[in-house]
Amino acid sequence: MSAAATSLPSRSRPPWLDAFVGQGLALLFAFAIAVAVGSLIIILYGENPLTVYGAMLSFGFRDATSLGNILSIATPLIFAALAVSVCFKGGLFNIGVEGQFLVGMVTASWAALAFDFLPGLTHMIVVLVFACIGGMVYAAVPGILKVTTGAHEVVTTIMMNQIAISIVKFALDGPLRFTKAPPGQNVDLRTDIFESSALVPDLGHLFGVESSAHLSWLFPIAIVASVFVWFLIKRMRLGYEARAVGSSAGSARAGGISIGSVQIKLFLISGALAGLVGMQQVLAERGALVQNYEAQLGFTGIAVAFLGQNNPIGIVFAAILWAFLSRGETALQIETDVPREFVIILQGILIFCVVVVYQIAKRRLARRELQRAGAEVGLRDTAAPSDLALEEG
Amino acid sequence: MSDQREAGRASAPPFVVMEHITKRFPGVVANDDVSLEVRAGEVHALIGENGAGKSTLMRVLYGMYPADEGRIMVNGEDVKISSPRVAIQHGIGMVHQHFVLVDPFTVTENVILGDEGGSVLDMDAAHEKVAALAKTYGFHVLPSAIVEDLSVGEEQRVEILKALYRGVDLLILDEPTAVLTPLEARDLFENLRRLRDDGKAIVFISHKLDEVLEIADRITVLRRGQIVGETRPAETSKAKLAEMMVGRPVLFRLDKPEVEIGERVLEVDGLLGEGKLNGISLQVRAREILGIAGVEGNGQRELAEALIGLRQPAAGTIRLAGHDIAGWSVAEIRNAGVAYIPEDRQEQGLVLNMTLWENSLLGRADDRPFSGRTGFLFIQKIKDMARKLVKAFDVRARSINVNASTLSGGNQQKLVLARELDTSPKLLIASQPTRGLDVGAIEFVWRQILHQKEEGRGVLLISAELDEIYALSDRILTIYEGRITGEYPPDALPEELGIGMLGATETAEAS
Repeated sequence: MSAAATSLPSRSRPPWLDAFVGQGLALLFAFAIAVAVGSLIIILYGENPLTVYGAMLSFGFRDATSLGNILSIATPLIFAALAVSVCFKGGLFNIGVEGQFLVGMVTASWAALAFDFLPGLTHMIVVLVFACIGGMVYAAVPGILKVTTGAHEVVTTIMMNQIAISIVKFALDGPLRFTKAPPGQNVDLRTDIFESSALVPDLGHLFGVESSAHLSWLFPIAIVASVFVWFLIKRMRLGYEARAVGSSAGSARAGGISIGSVQIKLFLISGALAGLVGMQQVLAERGALVQNYEAQLGFTGIAVAFLGQNNPIGIVFAAILWAFLSRGETALQIETDVPREFVIILQGILIFCVVVVYQIAKRRLARRELQRAGAEVGLRDTAAPSDLALEEG
Repeated sequence: MSDQREAGRASAPPFVVMEHITKRFPGVVANDDVSLEVRAGEVHALIGENGAGKSTLMRVLYGMYPADEGRIMVNGEDVKISSPRVAIQHGIGMVHQHFVLVDPFTVTENVILGDEGGSVLDMDAAHEKVAALAKTYGFHVLPSAIVEDLSVGEEQRVEILKALYRGVDLLILDEPTAVLTPLEARDLFENLRRLRDDGKAIVFISHKLDEVLEIADRITVLRRGQIVGETRPAETSKAKLAEMMVGRPVLFRLDKPEVEIGERVLEVDGLLGEGKLNGISLQVRAREILGIAGVEGNGQRELAEALIGLRQPAAGTIRLAGHDIAGWSVAEIRNAGVAYIPEDRQEQGLVLNMTLWENSLLGRADDRPFSGRTGFLFIQKIKDMARKLVKAFDVRARSINVNASTLSGGNQQKLVLARELDTSPKLLIASQPTRGLDVGAIEFVWRQILHQKEEGRGVLLISAELDEIYALSDRILTIYEGRITGEYPPDALPEELGIGMLGATETAEAS
């Protein structure tokens, strides 16, 4: 046997493309499994999966307004997922996006009312800046606690989420409570309606989207934010240091990286992004901070970040997919007998499938990468210990 | 070893015969037409560089990989070993480098796990059986001890007991001494000799040649997936084995460059700290390699970490070229001209799931050529630098865009060295710099460290390997329990060093 001849698989694709295609296929596969499991559930309800999915699709893509609706649902989710992912890159699990966005709504609302003398765009920018500041201040607390005392961010942020709910209540019942209620009407607790200069202008009308969809300039801002996060992670010192800290704190520390300072910076950036989560509802939909605000967006952001594999670009697509499914709830109610909770089940299954399938795909890719590296360098023994553990099991 | 025994062993039929084994992985031939015999009552060493195919061959025998070609015979009969369970049924057991024990369980509970025998446990009987096994082979381990309280050496004994409990006749040990201190290794060898004398066959995978020469009855050398020779300790030498392994002559004693010792670079005085720093004082001068010899766990790690700023000493001064650097951050100390080769390159040297070029930037992301004032990274400049380092230090990798985890241990260490030495430090702290490396890579690392001396740098070499201490040091200190117990010239006898390493403070002060 003519021995050593290391017959390399003739393959000309560069590894990054390999990885990209591999990941794309993995996600598609996960999506297919989720749809299949969803079909089973639909059949259990006695409906035809094709009709149900068909209804969701045709409703979602019915017209420009419906698409606009999907994008406006996706907007806060993009900010929330970005906030989660920025911390995650540095090995931090920021469960507190929820609380940070609530506080951001309060500070933004205060700015909207207090600076109502400012002209047009300036007013809006000041309000957005205050949203960011609110989120940052609220995120700084767990960051500082983590760095100085070692208090785990998951524990502190969960508690601070509870406090944030009370802060909103306090603000609405106290300093920000409406003063100009329409006479003779029973009005829910809310702030005064903001000057229109504080609001983020509508974008939808440029594309034939009705104003009821509330597609505002916040969506492009969210896209810009995701590009910014990509750039931060891949092209800036802080992102590099964050990834080093997140992957191997010991090596990062021995390399001279100040872990504490990196983590606090990540919390601040995460908080600023979180602060913008609530702006879609406050500045684009309601024009005021109301008592029955839409909560839980911070938690959904965690799911979306997972779905997008913490990749800033992936997050945009994940948020739009999530929003499409959420939009499907309405379709289900109108056109089928499947309860709207089916969408939540489907979203859950999707996350589950993505996590599992993606992990499997990642391992296969890693193994192939290892084997290739081994082949080209002339190393023959290519099995990594982690592989073995798998195969033994 | 008596000649009769030797002769008797040679005539006995082999316990295991592997014939024409070929194992391919995609793009790689890990074992290429390899044949091997293992006899009862022998320690058969399987040696070769990292990636030579030793572990793969044994994993085939242990049923973890199916062979693509070839056959395996046990006691003269053809067998098909499809899983570790089948291997154990045929009397073949394997102890891996990474132990698989349940920490909160006792030794006995771990040993019987998976082989409990019936749904009602007879713990007393199991206990007795384990104790008897341990006694027979001189394993100092208490059956009732909890595994998480055990030392690494004791955990390894539990792993071996697990195999023996299942009645194996052939024990495969994959680099068993890699995780042991020299003393523990000696105990292990004692255990192995007893097992061998009892008629067990042992396959000993290693790349440490001294150990192989000490323990093995027969030695098989693998290179690039093929067998390049079989020999006996009496017929060979370290140099010959190394040449067989690497394919070229390897030098174990390098010439130390003759240079004039320079100014003091590092002065440590009365360093005290939590854990194992009990008042360490030492000095390193430019163009000098100071070797710190000692059994691991006597404060070496703490000393290195205190010097690079990872650990704040409670008292004492550390002066680098005259400046007191105690209390400085790691970044400040690095910027002042200290480079650090950590003893654990995966924990403190590299970020394994980052690329080679990203790893080459670790600790230097602030430096002007690599990033701007505003915090942007200049990717092209960094990649140019990484390419240069990878080339200069012969890091074998497909490209600088692959993750550090895909590199072999030797290449990972070369990458760390390349990065650390590229900053032109005043002082190099090298902590166990050749741990886990094979002979070819060791030679490379040693050359680099000696070269630092010519470049005018001071080197603090911390090593548990006396070979390494002798090969490189200009002056030797012994460390014990966080104290310096003696200073010796480079030609001091190992016995003299041994006294200091075991704590006797009657020092052979050489001023």
